[in-house]
Amino acid sequence: MAKGPQDSIKAISKGFAKHNYVCSNQIATAVYLANELDKPILIEGPPGVGKTELANTAALYYKKELLRLQCYEGLDETKALYEWRYGKQLLYTQILKEQMQEVLDGAKGLKESLSRLMSFEDIFFSEDFLESRPLLQALTSDKGNVLLIDEVDKSDEEFEALLLEILSEFQISIPELGIRKAEVKPLVILTSNNSREIGDALKRRCLHLYIPFPDASLEREIIQARVPEINENLKIQLVAFVQGLRDLDLKKLPAISETIDWARTLILLNAKEINEDLAKETLNVLLKHQQDVEVVQKEIPSLIKTSIH
Amino acid sequence: MERVLADFVKTLRNANVQVSPAETLDAMEVIQNIGYEDRELLKNTLSLTLPKTPEEKEKFESCFEDFFQEKISSRSDSYDEEKERQEQANTNIEKSELISNFLEGSSNDLDLEISKAGEEVEVREIKYFTQRSVFSRKILEAMGVSEIEDYLSRLNLDKTEEPSEEEKMLRSQLANLREKVSNFVQQQFLLHGDVSGEQLREQVFKSMNMGQIDRSYLNEVHSLVRKMAKKLANMHSRRKKNFRRGKLDIRKTIQDNWVNQGVLFNLRWSYKKIDKPKIIVVCDVSGSVGAYARFMLMFLFSLTEVVSKIRAFVFSSNLGEITEDFKTNTLENAIEGALSKYGGGSTDYSSALSDLVSICIDEIDKKTTVVILGDARNNFGPDKAELLKLVKDRAKQVYWLNPEGTYRWNTGDSVMNTYSAYCTKVFECGTLTQLERVIGTLLKTAI
Repeated sequence: MAKGPQDSIKAISKGFAKHNYVCSNQIATAVYLANELDKPILIEGPPGVGKTELANTAALYYKKELLRLQCYEGLDETKALYEWRYGKQLLYTQILKEQMQEVLDGAKGLKESLSRLMSFEDIFFSEDFLESRPLLQALTSDKGNVLLIDEVDKSDEEFEALLLEILSEFQISIPELGIRKAEVKPLVILTSNNSREIGDALKRRCLHLYIPFPDASLEREIIQARVPEINENLKIQLVAFVQGLRDLDLKKLPAISETIDWARTLILLNAKEINEDLAKETLNVLLKHQQDVEVVQKEIPSLIKTSIH
Repeated sequence: MERVLADFVKTLRNANVQVSPAETLDAMEVIQNIGYEDRELLKNTLSLTLPKTPEEKEKFESCFEDFFQEKISSRSDSYDEEKERQEQANTNIEKSELISNFLEGSSNDLDLEISKAGEEVEVREIKYFTQRSVFSRKILEAMGVSEIEDYLSRLNLDKTEEPSEEEKMLRSQLANLREKVSNFVQQQFLLHGDVSGEQLREQVFKSMNMGQIDRSYLNEVHSLVRKMAKKLANMHSRRKKNFRRGKLDIRKTIQDNWVNQGVLFNLRWSYKKIDKPKIIVVCDVSGSVGAYARFMLMFLFSLTEVVSKIRAFVFSSNLGEITEDFKTNTLENAIEGALSKYGGGSTDYSSALSDLVSICIDEIDKKTTVVILGDARNNFGPDKAELLKLVKDRAKQVYWLNPEGTYRWNTGDSVMNTYSAYCTKVFECGTLTQLERVIGTLLKTAI
């Protein structure tokens, strides 16, 4: 076991690097605190900087199962929390009707029938008919796990309110059954692309981690970890090129995931260095909008020039 | 230790980073875990717990640098209890020691002394620009400067000739100290005072009668109105209502139909529809209420995200539509234009109402909210309240906002009572806070 927090944070950095996730100090600190204080992490940042990947890596690092809940508009508790098995419940009432005959057999008068009926065990609302969804699964598992609530900004506000209880108390109230509390608290990671403002109440309960685009040296490290077969020269040139791209006024800036894709593409094409033609042909790996491609094409020569130095 | 964090949180709040008590507690818990020793670690962890948006993170960054740079120089030793005791002992020995200390004191020690004195006089309570000299003096006093000044004046009394080396030295050191202190106070003011001044001003604007806000403040008030409108828009932009079509909500349907032995009789839908209200505003811009109309229009036109359609009319006597002006012009210019074009005349509600009916009675339907802003002072003319009744019958609701205090309604030529009979609700609406509340209600009930 590591002694001080600094050591633990370093250990996390190293452990993540083993799983090919190069993280800044800030990220490692966030994971350390989340684990230490049982607090969820809310991660924001532009798409493709490795928000979801962080959860995957955390699951690998802590050797816990990853439960993923993808949010979208209209997501509600029946898909996120739990659902009753209606079909089985309907069948159960059918069986019950038949059983009722036996239970009530020989009962004299309304009063006795009623008391027999009351003493009859009712399992209509019980665990047997409960279908757990990711959030409930995360709380009931006795091994602990990593719960990833992806793109929470895409969900409705009501859903956000639903999360509050889970995130602060690690419990869920099911009206028919009562409160279900987690024995082993899961490590919760929420991600958001900021398509809408997340409510203050939710933010307040989380550690807030903002992952920006990485600087050149960090990006080189990431490329090294993700695409180890790349040669040193190409790596430096490629990262400088992408960093230059991010200074342009584009609709969608290339993120780390795009840099990685591009590196893989270049290796596939057996490139030793980036030249104008090659850049032009493979630009669509980096850029996702035609307008952006047009803007960048004019800039390619100057970008290449700066990336060599 | 907690004091440091509390001070820091206060600084953050001053810089407009919203930090709740719960978050402060979180931060405290976190700090207990990691301690104050490692500066980078401290910064990383606090930035995880306190600021919650990218913009706030940026502000946090600069606040942290300012605050802890200053603090580390002052606190690193002073929190070391032993040293503190030593220093106390030092100051107690002899006052003349102070002077000799002062003569040879290195600038580092001086900084330390200044911030210690600053602590003593609670310089972080500084709020206004004008308090700077007071605090500077207080700090100097706390450092025992009057002693030095006394000493100096005594020197002067003794020999009126050439000042000695020592005296010169002392004087230049004193000037140096004064400058240092005033810089220190200035820095503290920027850290603690500057923005709370702004907050104070905002608060004053919010509760001030809109008619009395000076025109030179219009820009500031406008940005305040924008801020308030954005808050309202955020609150209402995603409200939805259940709709009788679309996706079946199986869970609710089955639950509701147990009573029918599981036969699905009453269907429940999960589809929801976002509903935006349609608003028609009619503003009196005659002399007495023109100022209010300005803020009202500012507010409403900052709300376009949550309002599906808005038409604006202004009148003194005859009604003029200004919706187009707002589309083609900036908000400020459009309002100015409308006020100078239509404003200033004597009020005639009857002709305004009949114009309203003839121009857009067909557009008023069950989704429309009609908002009338005016003091209902009709110069003893006919009120034509039956026209308002016609509008009310067709509209979803009619709101009347009166900038005058309730006690003045129905006095003199005010016919508020006659009109209020045909309004869904009548509000007193003299300050921005009242205006915000009214429009909030409007958005809530307009569906």
